[in-house]
Amino acid sequence: MKFDCGIEQLLTAVSLANRFVERRANLPVLSSIFIAAEGGHLTLRATNLECGVEVSLPAKINKDGVVSVPGGILAGFLSNARGKSITGELVGGVLKLQTERVSASIKTTPHEDFPILPHVSASSSFTIKTADIARAIRSVAYCASTSAIKPELQSILLYAEAGKLITAATDSFRLAEKTVPLRSSGSVPQLLLPARNATELYRILETTTGEIEIYYNEHQISTHIGAVYYTSRLLDGAFPNYRQIVPKSFSTEAVVLREDMAQALKSLSIFADKSSQVSLSIDSSNKTVVLSSRNPDVGEQVSTLRATLSGEAVAMNFNGRYLADSLQAITGESVRLHSNGPGKPLLVKDASDDSFFYLAMPMNR
Amino acid sequence: MTTTKELWENALVELELIISRPNFNTWFKDTHLIRVEDGAAHLGVPSQFARDWLSTKFHKDILHSLRSLSENIRTVEYVISRSSKKPVEEVRATAPTELPLETVHQKTNLNPRFTFSSFVVGPFNELAHAAAQAVIRKPGIAYNPLFIYGPTGLGKTHLIQAIGNHFRVNAPERKVQYLTSEKFSMDYVSSIQSGKVQWFKEKYRQYDILIMDDVQFLAKMEKTKEEFFHLFNYLHDGNKQLVFSSDQHPNMIQNLEERLKSRFNAGMIVSVTPPDHESRLAIIRTKAAQHNFFVGDDVMEYLATTVEGNVRELEGALNTLLIQFEMRGKPITVADAKILLRGAGAVAKKAISVQEVVKTIANFYGIEETSIYEKTRRKEVVRPRQVIMFLLREDFHISFPTIGDKLGGRDHTTVIHSCEKIKNDLHSDSLLNQEIHQIRLMLK
Repeated sequence: MKFDCGIEQLLTAVSLANRFVERRANLPVLSSIFIAAEGGHLTLRATNLECGVEVSLPAKINKDGVVSVPGGILAGFLSNARGKSITGELVGGVLKLQTERVSASIKTTPHEDFPILPHVSASSSFTIKTADIARAIRSVAYCASTSAIKPELQSILLYAEAGKLITAATDSFRLAEKTVPLRSSGSVPQLLLPARNATELYRILETTTGEIEIYYNEHQISTHIGAVYYTSRLLDGAFPNYRQIVPKSFSTEAVVLREDMAQALKSLSIFADKSSQVSLSIDSSNKTVVLSSRNPDVGEQVSTLRATLSGEAVAMNFNGRYLADSLQAITGESVRLHSNGPGKPLLVKDASDDSFFYLAMPMNR
Repeated sequence: MTTTKELWENALVELELIISRPNFNTWFKDTHLIRVEDGAAHLGVPSQFARDWLSTKFHKDILHSLRSLSENIRTVEYVISRSSKKPVEEVRATAPTELPLETVHQKTNLNPRFTFSSFVVGPFNELAHAAAQAVIRKPGIAYNPLFIYGPTGLGKTHLIQAIGNHFRVNAPERKVQYLTSEKFSMDYVSSIQSGKVQWFKEKYRQYDILIMDDVQFLAKMEKTKEEFFHLFNYLHDGNKQLVFSSDQHPNMIQNLEERLKSRFNAGMIVSVTPPDHESRLAIIRTKAAQHNFFVGDDVMEYLATTVEGNVRELEGALNTLLIQFEMRGKPITVADAKILLRGAGAVAKKAISVQEVVKTIANFYGIEETSIYEKTRRKEVVRPRQVIMFLLREDFHISFPTIGDKLGGRDHTTVIHSCEKIKNDLHSDSLLNQEIHQIRLMLK
């Protein structure tokens, strides 16, 4: 195997692939990136058996061949290499890399052991704008649980109804749901995409524009995003029927400026105690929403936000981080808070956009 | 004929020899043979990654090893199926069904036998019972944590399990867990060994009602104690109900940190004491009725007076009579009971030697037993020594000179002074009061 290609392009592809390698693998080859040189392209492949990726980039191929090299080492070398182009050659069991000023030899791993990436047959699929699916993942993925006790909560839910894709995630303390338009019509059954894999997909989508087609079956999804092929395992399980816990009517409603609230929560976190507790009180007589936090070892802070209100006064405590998280998915100027009194969940919405909502449970004390 | 499970296990043994260990561990983990049908073996694999790779890379090896074990297998089909536990269900279906009542409830670890309806309430435990009832009415709010302590065999376990059973039956949505502190510690240690500490934490943090028996054993285990402390805080902050039992008042448990003691003290601490005569009678009646065992009032009376120890001894004595009754098929008389229980009475009224008292109290204060007999005047020894003298005099009515003699040849005036001192201190020192109370329980 012998090839020539641009350092910049190779680095981009390698750093993308390197996010998919398994670092603590039983099988050493899984911490490697598989590289195939053939037909004017270098194709890089990496997988942790949960999800996998294949990236191709144009290269001048002098001699076809395949190799697999440890991902961390390759990425580390390339990120420090300067210059325009790089030459790679497989000599014995070693990959020799040569730039204008630096040369390196990397010991390879047995490429015959490198698994193939699953492909999903084209029978079921949906089409969506990359910006939309990226937004749908980003709006909910942070809500997924990190605990392995309930694997279904470690995933984000994806399904489509009447030309709309709906994503949701919850860790049972808070829940987020986002609706985005689909390009294709029809419906998609409930798919549970592990949140970690969803975040990786988001990071790929972030850099591109246009449309993608996502193929799915019972166990796997896959898609082509430009020169990247992405595939992930789907979780076998049932997502909780969260719709029934979303309240329909409310006793209190307040609208505040998103910027104000984000700013307040940021500085309140300095004073919050170990459980990041923030008290929220909606004061109907003064037309204000008062947020406060206190830590006996540090001090306290009270932030008063001007608000438009209707309904009864209410005071509750929340995990400040949970409240702040809700705002990252809201892009409008103002935020609507809905409450049904102490002990009941708080609903957070973009005041001008109904496609997203966030439900946060108050703290007990 | 071999089952599909055995067939696959044998095949795996062969495959393990051909395939490198990392490869084998990665790809054959979580695989299982679902069934063999028309010469096709249906192999369950965890994901599409595994299916694609097994069928391209290892298909030949798999087929070869299966064929060598079972000649009629001609092909292998790969099926994605994550529930590798399916074969277990088959086993369970053929296993004999056990009586539902006496089995320990798998999920909560509770024994359904322990309920409030079979719990006898008397003056000796009515406070503990009332506290338990309050916990049931307002879990997490009324008394949190509820801490029940007392000597062995007085129904602590029964009471705390009854709380759990109440929730299990009447509020199944609440997650109840009963366990002993020993089980907790074992769980923790094995989670460290297998690198699953996070999983351990999450497992325990999900419970709404956590019931832990014999927490005094935690005191000796440093790391477990720390983990327990964090778990306690987490659950307590979430208003989850915590129930503990111990053989001592938390303040009296050796090696227990202040922070844990104060947390136990934040809730409700109640003691159970040995039952009085009437309560013993009531317990005998209830237990006899449970077993449909008819005994005369005079026999019950005899049991209640002779077996003075704890409830467990009482139950033991009653069981002895019950077995005789069943074997003979005729009622037990007082005369029979006297012969049958000749041993039991002796156990109950045990005589305590001075050495035993010294040993118990030295253990209680965590000092060397021998230092009591020495001529040392170190403060940590003097106080226990005075307590020993006081108790020997007050509870065992031993003469002052004998006490002095037994405790390393001290003058009888020293003993008199000690007893007076403790007696006076008892009026003002509540900690001393607690200690004496606790020691008396231990000496019973």
